[in-house]
Amino acid sequence: MNAMPAIEFSGISKSFAGVRVLRGISFKLGAGRTLGLVGENGAGKSTLMNILGGNLLPDTGLMVLGGTPYTPQGPTDAARAGVAFIHQELNLFANLSIAENLFLSALPRLGSLPWIDRKALHDRTATLLGQVGLAIAPDTLVEQLSAGERQLVEIVRALALEARLIILDEPTTSLSVRETETLFSLLRRLQARGIALIYISHLLEHVRELCHDLVILRDGEVVAQGSIETYDTPAIISAMVGRSLTRLYPERRGTSTTAPLLEVRSLTQVHIVRDISFTVHRGEVLGIFGLMGAGRSELARILFGLDTAQHGEVRMGDRVINRGEGPRERMVRGLAFLTEDRRHEGLCLEASIADNLALVSLRQHARTPLRLLDRNTWQRAISTVRAAVRLTEKVSDAQSVQTLSGGNQQKVILGKWLLAKPEVLILDEPTRGVDVGARFELYQLILDLADRGAGVLMISSEIEELTGLCDRILVMSQGEIRGNFPRAEFSREHLLAAALPREAHA
Amino acid sequence: MPSSRPTKETAGLILPGPLFRRALGSDYFVLGLCMIYTLAVGPFTPGFFTPENAANLLSTALPLLLVALGQMIVLITGGIDLSVTSIIGLCSVTGAMVMNPESGGLGGDMLTVPAGCIAMLLVGMLVGIANGFAVSRCRMPAFIVTLATMMGVGGFAVWLTQSKAINQLPSAFNALGGHTIIALAITVLIALCVHMLLGRSVFGRWLYATGHNPRTAHISGVPVGGVLIAAYACSGVLAAVASVFYTGQAETGSPVLGQRILLDVIGAVVIGGTSLSGGRGKVLWTIFGVLFLKLIDNTLNLLSLSIFTLTIVKGAVILLAAVLDALRIRVAGHPA
Amino acid sequence: MNALLRYASPILFVVVIATFGVLSPKFMTADNALNILVQSAPVGIVTIGMTFVLLTASVDLSVGAIMFLAAGIAGKMLQADMSLSVALGTMLVIGVASGGINAAFIARLRIAPFVVTLAFLFIGRGVALTITQTRAMNLPEGFLRLGSARIGGVPLPLLIFGMMLLIAHATLTRTPFGRQLYALGHNPVTARKAGLNTSLLLASVFLISGFCAALGAILSLAQLGAVSPKFGEAYEFKAIAAAVLGGASLFGGRGTVLPGTLLGVVLIQSVEAGLVILNADPYLYPIITAAIIFIAVLIDSGRNTLLERLNRRRIRNDSAQA
Repeated sequence: MNAMPAIEFSGISKSFAGVRVLRGISFKLGAGRTLGLVGENGAGKSTLMNILGGNLLPDTGLMVLGGTPYTPQGPTDAARAGVAFIHQELNLFANLSIAENLFLSALPRLGSLPWIDRKALHDRTATLLGQVGLAIAPDTLVEQLSAGERQLVEIVRALALEARLIILDEPTTSLSVRETETLFSLLRRLQARGIALIYISHLLEHVRELCHDLVILRDGEVVAQGSIETYDTPAIISAMVGRSLTRLYPERRGTSTTAPLLEVRSLTQVHIVRDISFTVHRGEVLGIFGLMGAGRSELARILFGLDTAQHGEVRMGDRVINRGEGPRERMVRGLAFLTEDRRHEGLCLEASIADNLALVSLRQHARTPLRLLDRNTWQRAISTVRAAVRLTEKVSDAQSVQTLSGGNQQKVILGKWLLAKPEVLILDEPTRGVDVGARFELYQLILDLADRGAGVLMISSEIEELTGLCDRILVMSQGEIRGNFPRAEFSREHLLAAALPREAHA
Repeated sequence: MPSSRPTKETAGLILPGPLFRRALGSDYFVLGLCMIYTLAVGPFTPGFFTPENAANLLSTALPLLLVALGQMIVLITGGIDLSVTSIIGLCSVTGAMVMNPESGGLGGDMLTVPAGCIAMLLVGMLVGIANGFAVSRCRMPAFIVTLATMMGVGGFAVWLTQSKAINQLPSAFNALGGHTIIALAITVLIALCVHMLLGRSVFGRWLYATGHNPRTAHISGVPVGGVLIAAYACSGVLAAVASVFYTGQAETGSPVLGQRILLDVIGAVVIGGTSLSGGRGKVLWTIFGVLFLKLIDNTLNLLSLSIFTLTIVKGAVILLAAVLDALRIRVAGHPA
Repeated sequence: MNALLRYASPILFVVVIATFGVLSPKFMTADNALNILVQSAPVGIVTIGMTFVLLTASVDLSVGAIMFLAAGIAGKMLQADMSLSVALGTMLVIGVASGGINAAFIARLRIAPFVVTLAFLFIGRGVALTITQTRAMNLPEGFLRLGSARIGGVPLPLLIFGMMLLIAHATLTRTPFGRQLYALGHNPVTARKAGLNTSLLLASVFLISGFCAALGAILSLAQLGAVSPKFGEAYEFKAIAAAVLGGASLFGGRGTVLPGTLLGVVLIQSVEAGLVILNADPYLYPIITAAIIFIAVLIDSGRNTLLERLNRRRIRNDSAQA
C-alpha cells in the first residue's frame, strides 16, 4: 500500500433534524485500492458519500484527500478535487453525443473562435474510450446506448474530469451479465491505473470479486473494517444486521385469519417484476422486505393500478380486478395505498390539513344531486380521524400540511386512507424519516386496522420493524419473491440473506 | 433522506418584509389596492364620481366577471384558457344566427330566445370540452392548445359570418343582456354557484387537489382527467353566458365581440390572487381583481387615453400580477 | 408507432406537397418553389429564433409584437428622413432590447415564459400602435429594393435567410453554447449540476429570438413596402407551428435548424401558397393554421409521452422482449 491514503475520514458526524445519521466515522482508503461499502438501507452509506461528493456538509470531522485537507462546498468543488460520484440515476443528457456529455462544461474550441474543435473533441473522447476498452463511436447519441453502456459513459466522464477517486452506487442493478462483465473489466483497468474506488452494493459476490477492503456501516457507525479476505458472506451479513435493537412495538390484540382478501397470481412485467404470487388474509399484517431497487414499490404501484402488468391476475375477495382499472376503481374495491414519496404523491403540500384528510372520502359527505358537501359530517369525520391518528402538534385544520413534521405528515396520509375504510392497505416505507415517537403511533394505527379485520401489506427496508409488526414476511429481490417467512421463522440473518441479490440469473 | 444544500432559487426575488407579507396574504389586498387607486386617481378623473359612470362600470364589469370566474376555475387546476375571447365571438355568432329571422328560421317563435341561448351555451361547452380533452387525454400544454383554439375558433366565427355582424336580434334577447339589473341578478347567482361549487362541493375539492398536485390527486382517487375536462367546459360555458350579455348589449352578433378582453380576464384573475401555478383561487379574489381592472380601464378611458395606452397598462398589470404571484408562492414557502 | 412519430414532419411534408401538386399543376413548378422559398424568408428567420427558445422548453409569444415595434419605430425614423442603415440598425437594437426585457423577467425573476411574453405581446403592440398612431406608413424605395435585390442571381432575402440558417445551424451544432442549450432543455437540474450557467443560457435565447424577430421584420417590410397596423400579427403562431412541425419539442431539448426549421417553414408556407393557388376562401387560413399547430403539438406530445415510457427505470434485466 502506498504511504499516502487516497482518502481518509476521521470523526465524521452528521445529524438531520436532531437525528444522528453518522457517528464519528473514521477509516481510510489507500491509493489505487478499492473499498466495498456495505450496510443496510439507512445505515448511513448515502449520507457519507454525499458528504464526500460535496452534496452535504458534515457537522464535525475531517476528510483528507491525497494528503491535503478536503472541505468541498459543493459538487463542483468535489469534481475539481478529483472526486466523482456516479449515482444510480445517471446524470447524462440523452439528446447529446457521448463526446459532448464528457466535456459539456469545457468543450474544446478552435483557438479563440467560438466553434467547437470537433476533431480534438472526437480524438480526446476516442482516447478515453480506448483507455477503458470501450468500442463505441464518440459521436453516438447517449439515447442510443443501452443502460450498461450509459453506466460506462458515466465512468468515462469521471475520467475526463481526471478523477482520482470514484464512488459507484449500485452500478450493476440494471445491467445484464455481459454488461456487468464489461463494467468490471473497466473497473479493473482503473484499479491498474491507480484510481481509488468506493463501491457500494448489496451484491456481496460483486463486492468480493472487485474490492480489496471492506467497511461495514450500521446505524451510522463503522462496525467492521479490514481486508476483504477476512470476511466471509455470513460474517458480513451478521455484521450488517448486528444485535437486535430493543425497540418497543405495540401489542397485537387480534390474529390473522385464513380468509383470503387480496390474491395475486403470477404477476409479471418485463424488466420490473416476475411471477409474483401471494395472498393477504383478513386480519393479517403481511410484510414485504427487500433492499432498495428490489421491485417492491413497483409491485405496489401495479397492485394499485398506477402501472400495468403484462401477465397475472389480482383478485379482491372473489372478484378479479381488471387490468385497466385505475386507482379510483381499485379504491372503490377497498384498496388503499400509502406511497413512499410522501411529498410528491401522498400530500398536496400547500393545501390544508383538513383538505388533505378529506380528499379520498369526499364522496361519503356528498349530498346528491348537487354533490354539495355536508359540512357537519365532514367536519366530524375530520376531527374524529385527527383524534384517531393523534395529530400531536397544536395546529388548526386550516394550516397547510407543509408546516408539519414528517411524522405528522405521514399521520395525515394514513388518516386520509383510514377515512376511506379500506379492506386492504398497502404501505410503502411508512416510517421513513419519521421520529421514534410518531413511529410507535403509526405502528399502533396499522395494527388496529388489522385487528378490525382489514389486511395490511407493509413494504419496508427495515427488517427490525417488519419482524416487530408482521404476521408473515415475504422477501423480494431483483423483482422476484425469494422467500416466505412465517412469524415463527423470523430471523434477521435469513431475511437479509434472502434479500441480497444473486449474481447472474442468466 | 440526504437533503441537498439550500438552492439559490430565491436569488431572483428579495423576500418582502413582514408587513407586506401579511398584506399580500390577505383576502382584501386587492380591494385595498382598488380603494387606494380610486382615492388617488378618482378626483382627477372628470366624470368618474357620477351615477352614469357607476352604471357603466357595473354593466361592463358583469360579463367580464363571468369570463374571469371561468378562467379562475381553469387556473386553479394549473392550466390556462386563452380561447375564451374566441368562444365569446363564436357563441355570439351562433346565437345571432339562430335568432336572426332570416338565417334562423324560427321566425318570431316564443322559443327563439331560449333556443338561441341554449345554442350559445352548448357551443361554449363543446369548445371547452375539446380544450379539456386535448389537455388531459393528449397531454398537450394548456397554453398552446387554447392558443390554437383561440385562433381556430375565432377564424371559424369570422368564416361563418364572412366578417359581417348579424343584426335584427329579438328585443327580448337584447333586454336580457342589455338590462343591467337582469345581468346583475344572473351574475350574482352564477358567482354564488361558483363559490358553492369551489368551497362546498366534491368537484370543488377535486379542482384544488388537481391543481395542487395532480399525482397525489390521481392516487387519492380523483378522476383528474374528468376534472380537467369539466374545468375547461365551465370556462367555455361561462364565456358563453358572458357572450349572451355582450351580444345583448351590442344588439348584434359579431365574431370579434370579445376580442379585446383577454388581457382584462387574465389580468383580473391573476392580480386577484389566483395562482398561475394552480391550487389557489377564490371567487372573492376574482371579484376584486375584476374591480381593479375595470377601475383602471374606466379611469383611463375617462381621461381619454388611447386604447393602446390601455393595452400597455393592462399588459403591465399582468406582469405585475405574475411577479406578485411569484412573491406569494415564495412567501408561502418561507413561513415567517 | 414510434417510427411514425419520429418521422412525422418529413411524412407530413411529402403529403402536403403531393396533395397540392395533384390539386394544382401550377404548384409543382420551379417558379412556385422559388417563390415559396423567398416568401418563407421572413417567417423563417423568426422561426430560427423560436427554435432556440423552444430548445430550452420555453416559448416566445412576443415575436410578432417585437416585429411591429421595431417596424413602427423604423418607419417613423424613415419618415423623418433618417438614413436607411440607421433605421435598420435601430430595428435590430430594438429587437435585442425587447428580448432582453423578456429575459429579465424569465431568467431573473423566474416567471413563466408564456405569461411574460404574452404580456409583452400586448405591451409591445400597444407601444407600437401609439407610436404609429395606427396609421399605415409607406416606406421609401430603398427599403423595397432590399426585397427585390439579387446578388449573383439569388434574391437577397433568400440569401439572408440561407446565411441565418447556416449560422444558426453551426451555432447549435458546432459551438459549446449550442450544445449547452440542448443540455439545458433536456434537464435543467442536471445542467446546473454539470456546472452550466443556466440563467445566462435561458436569457440568451430570448435575446436571439428578439434579434431574429427584428431581422424577420426587415425582410417582411422589404417585401410589403409599408408598415400596417396589423404588421407582424399572428407571426408567433406561424413561428411556433413551423418550429414544432420541423421537429422542435415544446418540452425542450429537441429540434434542429437544418433540416428542421427549414422544413417546417417551407411546409407552412407551402400550405399558404397552395391555398392561394387553389383560390381558397381567405377566411379559412387561420382555421387551417390552427389545425396545423394542433396537429404539430399533438404529435409532439405523443412523442414525449412515448419517450417517458421508454425511459422508465429497470429493476431487472429480462431477456429482450417486445
